[in-house]
Amino acid sequence: MNDEKLAGGEERIKTAREPDREQPPAPAHHFHCEVNELYHPEDAGRHLGALLTDLGERNLYDAAAQCNRCGYCETSCPTYMLTGRETISARGRNQFVRMLVEGRAKNIADAEESLSTCLLCGACSSACYAKVPTPDIVLEGRRALTGYGENFFARAAVAGLLNAPRLFAFWLKLAYLAKKTGLPRLAARMGLYDFLGMPGLAEAESSVENTPLRFASELLRKDAELRPEGRRQAGWAYFAPCGPNYLFTEVALATVRVLKKSSGAGVFIDNQCCGLMAHNYGRLEDAREFARRNIARYEELKAELGEFPVIADCSSCAAFMKSYEQLFTSDEAWRPRAAAFAAAVKDILEFIPPGKAGHAAPAAAAKAGRVTYHDSCRACHGQGIRVEPRAVLRKLAGKQYRELPESDWCCGGAGAFAFTQPELSRQVLDRKLRNIASVQADTVVVGATSCLAQINSGLRAAYPSARAVHYSVFLDEVTREK
Amino acid sequence: MFKHDRISAIRSELEAIAGRGNVRTDEAEILMYSYDSGMARARPEVVINFTSADQVAPAVKVLYGAGIPFLPRLAGTNLSGGTIPLKGGAILNLSRLKKIRQIDTAARLALVEPGVVNLELQKALEPFGFFYAPDPSSQKVSTIGGNIGENAGGPLCLKYGVTSDNVEKLEVVTPEGEVKLWSYRDRGPDLMSVMIGSEGTLGIVIRAWLKILPLPSQLRTASAAFPSLESAMEAVTRIIGAGILPRALEAMDKVSMDAALGKANAFPEGTEAVLIIELDGSDKAAIDTELETVRGICAANDCATFKVAGDEAERTLLWAARKGAYPAMARLAPDVLVEDGVVPRPLLPEALKETRAIISKYKLTAGLLFHAGDGNLHPNIIFDRRDIQEVKRVKKAGYEILKSCINLGGTISGEHGIGVEKRVAMNWLYGRAELDFFQGIKRAFDPAGLANPDKILPVATELAAGEPGSKAFGSASAGREASSVFSGRSALSPSARGILDELRLRSAAGTLTAVTGLGTRLKPEHIHKIKGAENTRQLKLRPLSGRSEIDKGNLTARAEAGLSFEDFGRQLREAGLYIDLPLLKGSVGGLIVSKICPDLRGHLLGLEVALADGTLLELGGKTVKNVAGYDAIRLFCGSLGTYGVILAATFALSAGQAPAKPRFEENPDWDVFEPDTIHRRLKKEFDPRNLLNPWVYKGPL
Repeated sequence: MNDEKLAGGEERIKTAREPDREQPPAPAHHFHCEVNELYHPEDAGRHLGALLTDLGERNLYDAAAQCNRCGYCETSCPTYMLTGRETISARGRNQFVRMLVEGRAKNIADAEESLSTCLLCGACSSACYAKVPTPDIVLEGRRALTGYGENFFARAAVAGLLNAPRLFAFWLKLAYLAKKTGLPRLAARMGLYDFLGMPGLAEAESSVENTPLRFASELLRKDAELRPEGRRQAGWAYFAPCGPNYLFTEVALATVRVLKKSSGAGVFIDNQCCGLMAHNYGRLEDAREFARRNIARYEELKAELGEFPVIADCSSCAAFMKSYEQLFTSDEAWRPRAAAFAAAVKDILEFIPPGKAGHAAPAAAAKAGRVTYHDSCRACHGQGIRVEPRAVLRKLAGKQYRELPESDWCCGGAGAFAFTQPELSRQVLDRKLRNIASVQADTVVVGATSCLAQINSGLRAAYPSARAVHYSVFLDEVTREK
Repeated sequence: MFKHDRISAIRSELEAIAGRGNVRTDEAEILMYSYDSGMARARPEVVINFTSADQVAPAVKVLYGAGIPFLPRLAGTNLSGGTIPLKGGAILNLSRLKKIRQIDTAARLALVEPGVVNLELQKALEPFGFFYAPDPSSQKVSTIGGNIGENAGGPLCLKYGVTSDNVEKLEVVTPEGEVKLWSYRDRGPDLMSVMIGSEGTLGIVIRAWLKILPLPSQLRTASAAFPSLESAMEAVTRIIGAGILPRALEAMDKVSMDAALGKANAFPEGTEAVLIIELDGSDKAAIDTELETVRGICAANDCATFKVAGDEAERTLLWAARKGAYPAMARLAPDVLVEDGVVPRPLLPEALKETRAIISKYKLTAGLLFHAGDGNLHPNIIFDRRDIQEVKRVKKAGYEILKSCINLGGTISGEHGIGVEKRVAMNWLYGRAELDFFQGIKRAFDPAGLANPDKILPVATELAAGEPGSKAFGSASAGREASSVFSGRSALSPSARGILDELRLRSAAGTLTAVTGLGTRLKPEHIHKIKGAENTRQLKLRPLSGRSEIDKGNLTARAEAGLSFEDFGRQLREAGLYIDLPLLKGSVGGLIVSKICPDLRGHLLGLEVALADGTLLELGGKTVKNVAGYDAIRLFCGSLGTYGVILAATFALSAGQAPAKPRFEENPDWDVFEPDTIHRRLKKEFDPRNLLNPWVYKGPL
């Protein structure tokens, strides 16, 4: 793949989240679905009011019906490519939700396998000319599954993060400690993670070598340079997503260092969880609450500091925050506020221009060896970010940069997917690892923390001479003299 | 849906073959295999996901034993409902059989499994400097198995032929579960070619040996913007007429461009049509001259801008726009009907005018795409299936477009197949004799009628809706000039009519007939020495040698069977045309039935045949692409005069001077032929009393 090609596709992909306002909102073929067989009207609160698609605002039925079944997405769908089954393919999932809405599929429980196997990677939407938002449609379908998001653990986790983040942090540390004190897998066995409602975290944590005992937010709060008090402006505000905050503290710290170096003074926004976990676990109301709190916090800072970009260093969270408006399509008061916040969000991957990325220190560059870049799904498919990080990496790694074949093939991490679908997840990962091995990479740069955990756990087992590092960590390390 | 559960009884057998988790009857799987890219819907009873090509034959045997219908399915991107299980039964999902087994650059063959995605094969061949010519626009997702099932074309088939021309050999599971290996070079009637485009109704391909070609060293891709589709079409006709054969010559209208390119559409204001012209070759100077000629022709036809792609990226963008034009229709509306009519190329502007009139008559919107060089039109009519009135209008418009193609001497499908959605249109294209003939082919391959039932051929209720005997393919409607387009018995020469009558008489009397041509191979004086030919009476085709009918604009010519191929070549040469074949001896008909030169089939567009009972068949016509019905034309290649008597053949020509050709080395054993079971069954269908050349099929049929 060459740059021109990427640049060519870039324009179109970038608009994935920005409905084209110039075009007439809906063509003549617009039908309002009177009867929605997917969920009862009284459950509407658990669902999105509308989807903000590339073709404009659409209700779920219209968004799903936009798929004309051409099938061009199928070869980009990892689960289809591995199984060859329409049932667990992008087109199949879309058709399933459509059939459910139309009442042609009678029982939502039949859709369980189809919907739960989706990685939500969004490769299908990238391949789709109409940009049918299959991940959003799948999530809507999942929310209609009986009990989805209602189980005790999911509720506990989201409630913990929402209402008592510090208490949540305490329990999490206890769980980590249980691991550090050498009691093998005690933490997992104690069900602490389950108690915290993060079964996926148990899996992620087991693939992370060093779990932190000080979370990033605690450290950043202590950094006087990052305090907003008494300041009139800020070049950036750092938003600490849960991954860098609770698991990969070094990523958060590296991001802040890189931001300071490249973009001057900024602040730590001292945020809450972005709400993605609640959203994907099916707890939309909770996700909205997270969003409202973050938006309010942003507005509070904006009143003091004026405009500033909100920088997140996990692509999943950045992509989700860019879509905050979609959470509030039925809420006139919050919708514009969400849109304004979303417009301020930037992924660290796209924020730093090559000119400000500094220069590689020879020793550090030598240590990094051969560098390649993995497109995290929520960066490339979710936000259309492909060119920017490559430009920086090409500059820093020079001739040691290699383009990864199938770089936008999902790694299989996909949030809790690795936990809920271990077999499929392993096969998805295997293909990623083979591609990494094919370019004999030493360093695989990624932009999302679930990719970091997933790819590193795979590399340790299959290809130990390579390691995955977060984009910020790579930038921080490679430009550091000595 | 099915009152009687037929699957439980054979479930354990199927599981023993395909593996436990791979035989699925759960509601989700059934629902997900009830649709494809077309409009038709029907539920299967079981979906079998195969993990090895060798599992297919045993599974088919089990299904055959239980009398359960089945059909193979791959990517499910079929546009005519071909993969919809109309009678329930089993879906044989071959998508996981996607290994490229072998790439042999010396023999120029690739051995692949049916689930290999077309584009994946291209990517695998590229490092070796090779490519596989058929490149349907769906190549990103469609598979080789599907391409074979539909006899897929693509932009490059203008120069390199459709799928059928690019397959060397097939491993096939017959509907009874037998495994066969068929090549078009095999002695006797060409069963391999009949398989191609049979949409899973004759068997299931489990391995394919594909012809691969070296990548051309010189490639020029140009786009030309025109103020009207008519002027673009005029340019196309001129380019081909100038003796230039581009590897691709594609056209698209404004609606398609806007959908596919969106804001990236950089063509000048007022552009109504764009041509994409791609030339290839090995001689840089020659190709640049050709490019200049093309540029001149475009300029003379009001072309606003003519732009040659500067690099691979620009070329990729052009092709992405062309190949994305169909899926991009999804931006405009939730459903799209893609028509696939073909007309003789010079009539494209006419077909275009009629298509547009029909679309506006029904108040519809369509993006128009053309494989302009082939005369193949793809109007993409957009609609929303939830609007029942609109769906009705779309269907009516679709059928009218097909009828207009038929009236122009064209056909109803060039590459997408008939499936279920165009089944009724077969009535308008063919007469009862041809449809019966096709039914005979189906029965010979699939006596139990289990392989993808009710596809391609009209079912009883639809037959009633047709007009039996209205042999429309090639027949021009009233008021239109029909000088060289054949049209039923009346268009035949007196000697051809004489042969029909003679055969009818002999059939009534039960006379055994030995068909003889010019005596090049089958010497009339030796016939009586052949065992089994002692009691035959000769039928001499020598009088069938009227002057060939040459259509210079369409680059086709019709020759009667008794015309010597050398004389035919001479007549073509006088018109500045030639057939790109070696120098061959003998009559036109003799060369076809003896299959001395298997590559002859690639130039054969139409046949007029008399069956043993004097029934006239008109197969194919004057279009370079035709996938309506089975490829019966190629079935006659190598038939040794046993299935019917060829009266005349229509060939595709090249313009210009024939390149010097070496003398062709004939195989002296041309008549050594051991019939397959299916050959015998075909013979029984077409000539049950073994009246024609009876010595070939010895013993009871």
